[in-house]
Amino acid sequence: MTEQFHYDNKIVRNFALATIVWGIVGMTVGLLIAMQLFKPAMNMGSQYTTFGRIRPLHTNAVIFAFVGNAIFMGVYYSLQRLLKARMFSDALSKIHFWGWQLIIVATAITLPLGLTTSHEYAEMEWPIDIGITLIWVVFGINMFGTILKRREKHMYVAIWFYIATFVTVAVLHIVNSIELPISAFKSYYIYAGVQDALVQWWYGHNAVAFFLTTPYLGMMYYYLPKMADRPIYSYKLSILHFWSLIFIYIWAGPHHLLYTSLPSWAQSLGVAFSVMLIAPSWGGMINGLLTLRGAWDKVREDPKLKFMVVGITAYGMATFEGPMLALKQINAIAHYTDWIVAHVHVGALGWNGFLTFGILYWLIPRIYNTALYSKKLASFHFWIGTLGIIFYAVPLYFAGFTQGLMWKEFTPEGLLKYPNFLETVLQIVPMYVLRAIGGTLYLTGVIVMTYNLAKTMLAGKLVANEAAEAQALPKVYVAQGAEKKLHRILERKPMVFMVLSLIVILIGGMIEMMPTFTIKSNIPTISSVKPYTPLELQGRDIYIREGCVNCHSQMIRPFRSETERYGEYSKAGEFVYDHPFLWGSKRTGPDLQREGGKYGNAWHYNHLYDPQTMSPGSIMPPYEWLIEQKLDTTTTRAKINAMRTLGVPYENGFENKANRRLEEQALLISADLKQNNIKVKSDREIIAVIAYLQRLGTDIKAK
Amino acid sequence: MFKQFLDQADGNQGYLLSSFGIFLLFFLLVGVLLLRMKKDEIKYMSELPLKEDDDERGS
Repeated sequence: MTEQFHYDNKIVRNFALATIVWGIVGMTVGLLIAMQLFKPAMNMGSQYTTFGRIRPLHTNAVIFAFVGNAIFMGVYYSLQRLLKARMFSDALSKIHFWGWQLIIVATAITLPLGLTTSHEYAEMEWPIDIGITLIWVVFGINMFGTILKRREKHMYVAIWFYIATFVTVAVLHIVNSIELPISAFKSYYIYAGVQDALVQWWYGHNAVAFFLTTPYLGMMYYYLPKMADRPIYSYKLSILHFWSLIFIYIWAGPHHLLYTSLPSWAQSLGVAFSVMLIAPSWGGMINGLLTLRGAWDKVREDPKLKFMVVGITAYGMATFEGPMLALKQINAIAHYTDWIVAHVHVGALGWNGFLTFGILYWLIPRIYNTALYSKKLASFHFWIGTLGIIFYAVPLYFAGFTQGLMWKEFTPEGLLKYPNFLETVLQIVPMYVLRAIGGTLYLTGVIVMTYNLAKTMLAGKLVANEAAEAQALPKVYVAQGAEKKLHRILERKPMVFMVLSLIVILIGGMIEMMPTFTIKSNIPTISSVKPYTPLELQGRDIYIREGCVNCHSQMIRPFRSETERYGEYSKAGEFVYDHPFLWGSKRTGPDLQREGGKYGNAWHYNHLYDPQTMSPGSIMPPYEWLIEQKLDTTTTRAKINAMRTLGVPYENGFENKANRRLEEQALLISADLKQNNIKVKSDREIIAVIAYLQRLGTDIKAK
Repeated sequence: MFKQFLDQADGNQGYLLSSFGIFLLFFLLVGVLLLRMKKDEIKYMSELPLKEDDDERGS
């Protein structure tokens, strides 16, 4: 029986608009922080616009707002057509759309306010985490509901990628968001130190895998054949690389923690699987590019296909580079430098950005029943975008090599050639200028696209409900006998599929994380490591609030070049009370793991007030407000209680005298500052920050 | 270069080897599944996105 129904194009259009709007917002913030790196005045003297607070705003905006909305746009359009069914529920579609935008707005407000958990790419505090979970479930119900009421028996490979995305992101988000709230917008991760680091990078790496990669591969498998008007090159390859990809990806997280205090067997596992990852990744790239065999003449004329080809090529480059960066020898130089930033942006600007643009140029005219306003402008967008990527990536690669090598260079006498960290920063500042030019070019292209698509929309009219018809699937429950069983299995296939992919992605995570959590010998304790004092704990939370971790690592790797520069290398046992861990992933400034006692309190005071007075040429912004703002001590009790719940051995009743201890320690610091002619009240935030910085790494420091 | 994986796994090679083992098993399983797929099934599946009643809109 042929059934008549309508595809919901309005929801696709809404997600498309959100993609464009948040894309511009996220990239503009990116451009701003890029400029802050060569012109500190661009921090605008306000705590709400400093690099540390808005860098997470940029990353979350482009990942979850720009790419997130693009995923939903791509999925909602292709899922309906591949399954020959309207989305399961219009109401759920709407809740999904508005819920997701609400989450984005909440994130955009809270991150500049300094409400952050500090876990990279998951900085949102716990109420937003709950919101994300709920909306993700809504998306899942809507997707599986559509799959269950489908009129096409078989699930095309794109849908496999969508299912894997849904399942894995759910698992990643939940495990990485287990926090103990102490107030409406402050919480502590239940994990500490090494375990927290492992969870964070298991999450972080697989956010790349299952938010930036698998949904986009699914979209590639749908939109590329549509654009080129030919089936995918090899369907078998798509199946093989799908299963290998989701299996292997989940193991690769520890390559973000090479040479750190993570147990070495976990590092080795991470490296081995990262190297293997090149095979399924390239399987996808090759399958995409070869789909265009015999259609390259179309690529010459069609800007959409040009975007797709460069996007897929960028995917190939980034997934070649990833395994290379995971090799310990290369990682030793690249880690903490701009090389990683360049690597990420080849993937983000090339793969995610260009695929999104190609799909937007294809999709908008379709749902508006008209032709694209200007092919020339789309072509211009392609070229300026490509130029933008080159201008972005090449200078940063250069900056990465340069700085990585400078950090490691010794004089013939055996001393560090560049003992002053700042010298290595000033060397690469011109590269930061070029990178910002690249970003400007790329953003210009997006604005041109916006104009082009707006004109297209105005010229056409949205086909909100697109008529379609298809044969209904035979109802399974009327089948009899042996046939019944077979059909029931088929009917359940999407669920079986979901469970299967869940098992596949859980294996890697379990094997890597369980031993680190359960076997004590993996994190040898050090008896001299003691919990933070109340003042230090408060200072640490300000350090988290200001996003210091975005530029300063707290993880000295066991290289001579690092122990010479910073001091004794970091031990796993030093971080057992660190909820969350603050190892960082980028050194725009020096490592701070052994900062305690390196300089006097007065030095820190002056440096925070105006970094340039203590380090001429420094690109760190001033933190004047730390002197003006009073430390909020009403939270001390809750913080001590929460830490004790998480296993930090504060004695019973300590919460009652914590604030008294805090004041005593603060008075000592302000008295010391007074001796150095600095008059500051002992109840200011800066006192707590100084207390924390002076504590860093001193527990096992040789006196 | 690859020697360091085993060197550094000191006493923990079990993790590495069993992980590889699990993957190999899984890979073979998928491989067998693939080989057993019928040609017309593959063809049918790969043409799924192209089967819609497409018009010339937007192109």
